[in-house]
This record gives sequence, structure tokens and C-alpha cells, in this order.
Amino acid sequence: MDSVTEAPAPTAVSAPVSRTELEASGAGPLLCLFGGAALWLLLASLFALLDSLKLHAPGLLGSSPMWTYGRVHAAADTALIYGFGVPSALGVGLWLLCRLGGTRFAGPGVAAAGALGWNAAVAAGVWAILRGGGTGYEVFEMPGAVAPLLLVSYVLIGICGLMTFRQREPGPLYPSQWFVIGAFLWFAWIFSTAALVLLGSPPRGVLQAAVNWWYEHNLDTVFFGFAGLAPVFYFIPKLSGRPLHSSYQAALAFWMLALAGSWGGIFEGAPLPGWMVAVSLVGTVLTVVPIAAVASNLYLTAGGALAAADGGPVFRFTCAGLIFWVVAGAQQVAGALPSVARLTDFTWFTTAQRDLFRNGFLAMTMFGAIYYIVPRLADAKCATPDRLWNRKLARLHFGLMLAGVALGYVALLVAGVFQGVELQNPANSFTAVMKGTMMGLRLSTLEPLFLFFGAVVFLINFALLMKGRLARCRRDRSVVRGLAKEGA
Amino acid sequence: MNNGPMLFLGLFASMAISWVTFVLGPMAQLGNLQQARTVAPLPASYPNNPPGLAEQGAEVYRACGCTYCHTRQVRPAGSGADLAHGWGVRRSVAHDYIFERTVMLGTQRIGPDLANAGLRMDATAVLARLWDPRIVNKLDSAHSIMPSYRYLFDVRKAGSAPFADVLGVPAEFAPPAGYEIVPRPAARALAAYMAASRQEPYLFEAPPPPGTVVVTNAPANGTNAPSAGTNAPGNGTNAPSGGTNAPGASAPPTSSNAANPHSAFRVENETAKNAKNAEKESPFLSALYAFSADKSAIRNPQSAIGETNQ
Repeated sequence: MDSVTEAPAPTAVSAPVSRTELEASGAGPLLCLFGGAALWLLLASLFALLDSLKLHAPGLLGSSPMWTYGRVHAAADTALIYGFGVPSALGVGLWLLCRLGGTRFAGPGVAAAGALGWNAAVAAGVWAILRGGGTGYEVFEMPGAVAPLLLVSYVLIGICGLMTFRQREPGPLYPSQWFVIGAFLWFAWIFSTAALVLLGSPPRGVLQAAVNWWYEHNLDTVFFGFAGLAPVFYFIPKLSGRPLHSSYQAALAFWMLALAGSWGGIFEGAPLPGWMVAVSLVGTVLTVVPIAAVASNLYLTAGGALAAADGGPVFRFTCAGLIFWVVAGAQQVAGALPSVARLTDFTWFTTAQRDLFRNGFLAMTMFGAIYYIVPRLADAKCATPDRLWNRKLARLHFGLMLAGVALGYVALLVAGVFQGVELQNPANSFTAVMKGTMMGLRLSTLEPLFLFFGAVVFLINFALLMKGRLARCRRDRSVVRGLAKEGA
Repeated sequence: MNNGPMLFLGLFASMAISWVTFVLGPMAQLGNLQQARTVAPLPASYPNNPPGLAEQGAEVYRACGCTYCHTRQVRPAGSGADLAHGWGVRRSVAHDYIFERTVMLGTQRIGPDLANAGLRMDATAVLARLWDPRIVNKLDSAHSIMPSYRYLFDVRKAGSAPFADVLGVPAEFAPPAGYEIVPRPAARALAAYMAASRQEPYLFEAPPPPGTVVVTNAPANGTNAPSAGTNAPGNGTNAPSGGTNAPGASAPPTSSNAANPHSAFRVENETAKNAKNAEKESPFLSALYAFSADKSAIRNPQSAIGETNQ
């Protein structure tokens, strides 16, 4: 077997492309993807905050159809998943393909066009949802009219990714590369399937729900799982300064996630054939294997070096994201067991798990990578790129996200278990049980609030960094002009 | 795993397995699901096409995102206490949804399940709840966290709309004196959709509880059995409860197997209770309400067919 176990090495000195050039080659599209993603996260947390407030004050904005609970909820999901999640996953993946392949970004212009098209399509989709044009399929709410633009934009970016992968330097592949390629292909497959089946020619009856749930499960578990684990596998060995413990375990996790993680999402007792529920249960329970493999692999990699590692934002966000992935995955397995599912299905328990996965795992691993990548794009020549960030703001961002996610998770988890257990007793009226969950709901309102402030802090930091970049560019240009004059 | 093509092939194979299992397989099994014969209370074809207004209501349900708080699926007795809460008389099965354009089963219950909303509320009660969810059945829903959907209603100067169109609500929820509430078409459609949501007849895959008297084709209860048996959507109203079909009564029809204490049970008690509360608490003008035609159509499809044929 190959010796992939060495830490991801920077490109060799003899490489035809210098590191500086390599870093700068994708700056345009990547900054476009990350900047857009951060703006969408801001919007998503604003929508989620409004939605959460509506649970306490049902009359809030009650006379406006645009701001009704269901539409805002769909808009928040869409903004988070398609506005923030997919573009940031693509951006991080593209950068990893460049860095690990030791190659230049292939087709930055095409990717930038794709990024613009994608953001425009998501904006149109969110607007349509708020106007009542949602499809009614959860996490697939954007109407059919924008689906072609989404697909085309995705393909434009995806092709750049595959081209970059193709022109990599020969040599063994590092696990992060498998994860990135897996994520790129997975989303193309599930999104086009969902678009063709649900929007093109909707099948009869409950098959729509089956496809919808299959899509949502694959989107979270496989696509976002791959996309979030790719930077984790890159940064944890890199920052702890030790080689990856085992590439076999990484391969096991990768293939089990692709095989078993893609089976699931069907609820216990749903009006679907019993075998679907059973297969879904088996697949979900089997995801214990990748969870254990990833956790042990990365723990043994970092091990004692954890304490010695620098406490910068990249390391903090990545580690927190990995821990949240393990917790969310374990909860998903537990919640799939029939004896638990009959209590917790359709309660806040499921919501707590989804929020932890998306806000905790996905957003935090993405930010970990973004904190590493963006300064290198903004100023390829800088000797200490990490210093370009304002460290205080980065620490504040991390604190806000960690507190928000943890608080919201615990509050909703407790509320969900309470709701599930209390509803088992038919003597408890539904409204009375929901009233009992109000304390949890009040606390969970802090999550979108903290995420919102976190996004604001990040955007300020991002803007400061870009301002510094512009100033340096201007200075450089004037220096060049001065030199030219002297020469003349 | 050093080689790109193997990576692609492996990913493609995993994806294909998942796709065949969860997309293609169920389509082969359920893609051509047709109407079924009900096994109780009367043999009939099920389900029937919903009324047109109810189909429009499903679009309102989708556009308002109702599915983010309400599921439309009743789990069997072994998985959750859905039946014990009176959210249905039996579990939901694939047959129940074959005529729905967009199937929104939902995945979270911030409000109760609505698969059988029509067994608990009539259209007027739904409208009152949309105006203010804290109106109806005060004991239970005074603390409801459901938003009010006032944008589905017009508040007009009293007397400007035909009397039959006006929604009556208790004084504390009413608009200022001299004004009255008139539901917009979207509200009516949504109410019709809810009133038509009833997964009532028992099917082969969702059999009646043991001990239920199953009425077969034999004309056991009188002359109208054979004709009703062929066409009624098996809600059993035709048999014993001729009186309740009057449009004024808010109570949904009692089921023909009411004689059996173990059968339709809680739901009936609840609906009867709701209906009583509704009548007590609010001067609903249900008898005059424009919906009465639709309501009777839902209860008795034969009359609806008769009407559309004319």
C-alpha cells in the first residue's frame, strides 16, 4: 500500500508552480465563494432568529404573508444550506485540490462565473420562497425555475474542481482529496436526481417524500460530511505537526460513509414500505463505523500534540467542528433505533441534531478552513498570513459560535426528549406539552442570535483584511509606477 | 487508493446502490399505486379525487409552509402515541396520498398531526383557527404557539360582504365594532383542504382493530347499502346517521361502527366535544356559511358527483 500517512506536504521546491503563484491563482473565485457564503450565513441566522422569535410571539409580523413562520423557516434553511453550506464547501474543496495537488487553479474565470450564477440563483430562490413559491419539499424548497441555473453554476464550479484534480502532480492521493472529490460528485448526483424526480415529473404519492428524505439525508450525512471532513483531515495533522495515524482507517471511514451514510432518512412508522424503514435503520446504525474510525484516527494523530498546538482560530474551529460531528453522528444513530425513534421522531430532538450538524459541524469546519485560506489568497506574499486576521475578533467569533451552538443544542435536546416522553401519555394534551418545552425554545433563540453576531464579527474581520489587501495593492502599484518612472 | 479512476468508480458504485435502493426500488413498488378496495366500514374504492377547492388548498398549505410545524402522517400504534392522541383512526399508508400533487408528510410536530384534520374540525372551525389559533376549544389551545394567519382574511366594514361570507368569532377575538371578518379565497381553499383530510376507511394494509364489525356487501343495514358501497369513500355516514348530514352541525359524521366501543373511539369523542365547544363558544354561522355545499360534498360524494354532472 502507498505511504499516504505522511503529513500533507507543501509542494516540493522543484515544483514548476511556486507556492505564491499557486495560492494566488484561485483568489478571485474563492474570495467570491467565501464572501458570499458569509453574507448568506448572516441572512440565514437573521431568518432563523425571526423564526425562533415567532414561537414566543405568534403575532409578530402576523399580517404579512412574506414573514409567516413556514416561509421564513424554508428561507432560513435554504440560505444556510445553499447560500452558506454549498459555496463554502466548494471553495474549501477547490483550495484543497490546488494545495494537495500542487497545482494551479484550473479555470478561475469559469469558477467565478459559476459562483456568481450560484449566488444569484440562491437569491432568486429565497425571494421566491418568501413570496410563496417554495416547492413544499424540505431543504429542497427553491422552485423549479431556478434549478437549471443552480445546476449549470454547480457544474461550472465542479468542472474546475475536476480539472484541477486532473492536473495534480503524480503521487499518492491524500485522504482529503478523496473526501473533496466524493463531495463534488455526490452533490451533483443527489441534486440532479432530486431536481429531475421532484421538480421534473413528481412521482405518485409518498414516493415524493421518500426521495425528499433520501436527498436530505444524503445532503447532510454524505455531502456535508465529506466536505467538512476534508479540511479536518488536512488541518489536524498539519497543525499538530504529526502525520496522519492511519490511511487505512481513513479509507474505511470514507467508504463506509459513502455506502452506509447514503442509506437513511426514512422515519420509523412512515407510510412507506417497511423494508425502506429497515434498510434506512441498518444504514444509519452502520455509520457508527466511520464515526469511530474518524474519531480514533484523528485522536491518535493529534494525541499529545493537542496541548502543544497553537490555539489559533483554524485549530479551534476545526477541532470544535470535529467534536460536533461525532456528537451529531452519535445522536443520529441513537435516534434511528426504533425504541428511541418512536419517542423522539418529529420532536425538537431531530431539530437539535440537524442544527448541531449544520451550525456546529459544517459551519465550524468551514470557518476553520476559511481562517486559514483567506489570508493566503488575500496576500500571497505575506510571510505570516495568519497575522492578517484580527485575532481578537477571530476569538470573539469562535466564542459566539461555540456558545450559540452548544446552548441551542442542549436546550433543544432537552426540550425534544421532554416532548417525546410526555407525548407518550395520551392524557397530556399536545398544547400543554408544547408549553412545557417553552423554556428550551427560549434558550434556543440565543443560538441564531449568537450566530448572527458571530457572522457580523466575521464579516468585519473579513472586510478589514480585504481593506488591508487593497491598500497593499495600491502601495505596490505606486511603487511599481515609481520604479517605472525612475527607469524612464 | 492512489488512482483517480478507482476512486470515481467506487463512488459511482456506492451512489448507484443508494439510488437503486431508495429511488428506483420504491418507484418500481409504488409508482403505479392505484385505488384500493376498503375492507371496512363499507367496501368501496379509496381514495377518491379530492374536491377542486381542496386541491387549491393544498397549494396554500405548501406556500405557507404549514409542513414545517405539522406532519401529515399517523404512525402505527407500535411507533409513537399518534393514535392514542386521536390524530387518526388508523395508521397512514401509501394509498392515502396517491392523489396528492405535492406530498408533504412533514418531519416536525410543533403543532399536532393534520392527516385527519377533517375528522376533528370542519371548514368553519379551521377558518376560526387560522384567524386566531387561540379561539377554538379554549381549554386546549389557549396557549397555542401557532401564528395567526390574518393575512388570509379581509376585515371589512360590516354589511359590505354577503352575510354568508362572514366569519363569526367570539367578541374578544373580533375586529372593532362595525367591522367583520371575511375569509379570502385562499383561506377557504385551505379550510376545504383540511376538512377533506381524512384517512378514514380501513384498508388491507391498515386493517380495523380486532373485533370491529366489518360490513360486507351484504345489505345488512338497509336498502342503500349496495349503491353506497360502490361509491361512497367508506366514511360510513350513509348508514345510521342521516340526521348529521345537515350542514349546520359541526360534528363530523359518526362512523357506522360506533356500536363497537373499541373502534373509532377517541376521535369521535373528541370531535363531538370540539363541536360542542365550538358551538358554545362562538356563534358560528355555519348553517349559512358558504362552505356548506363543499362540506356536504365531502361527506357524500354521490351528491357532489350529481352536482358536477349538472
